[in-house]
Amino acid sequence: MRKQTLLRVLVLGLGIAMAGPALSAGDPHAGRLKAFTCFGCHGIPGYTNAYPNYHVPKLGGQHAQYIVKALTEYKEHKRSYPTMQAQAASLSKQDMEDIAAFFQGFKNN
Amino acid sequence: MNKFAIFAMMFAIAGYTVQAQAGGDPVAGKQKASTCAACHGADGNSTNPQFPRLAGQYADYIVQALKEYKNGGRQNPIMKNFAGKLNEQDREDLAAYFSSQHGLIQPKLNRRDNVE
Repeated sequence: MRKQTLLRVLVLGLGIAMAGPALSAGDPHAGRLKAFTCFGCHGIPGYTNAYPNYHVPKLGGQHAQYIVKALTEYKEHKRSYPTMQAQAASLSKQDMEDIAAFFQGFKNN
Repeated sequence: MNKFAIFAMMFAIAGYTVQAQAGGDPVAGKQKASTCAACHGADGNSTNPQFPRLAGQYADYIVQALKEYKNGGRQNPIMKNFAGKLNEQDREDLAAYFSSQHGLIQPKLNRRDNVE
């Protein structure tokens, strides 16, 4: 009886462990909704920030892995731009993965 | 008169655009970009997803990023090493080259085809 319970726990644990990597990949559909705020700056062609004055980067077609890395660095204050630090602070790892998958999906053709 | 006005405006806009990009020389930038190519791809379309695409990126953003890697605003040991060797003209030239390549695009919220 105890053995059966243990087995069930093991099987369940294995299932969760296997689902892990699949969940960690970004979902562009979820990312589309989560990216709504990003479009306030990154969705306007030619938009420049106030200071220092330069164009807000294009994200369409950018590698998801790099976007996640950049967001993580803003969150950890390894990149100095305050607006992006504030935005990234509220994002979970999954949010970042989803948003990144969404932006990566834009193709230039 | 109307046609002339439109013509003049187009000229003014074209002139402004050229002037805005006048800082860097893309031909010189291409030569200087040979070091960047190992990670970012010859034309700035990196194949390794851990390195960002630079092709089609705004030139002034690339300049800003390179400055920040140099001055520590962005903390990345590899990029600090490369960016540390660049002067303002190098940054402008590299940015002019990569921004002129075909790659990144401006995302649009109303486009659904990218997630289909």
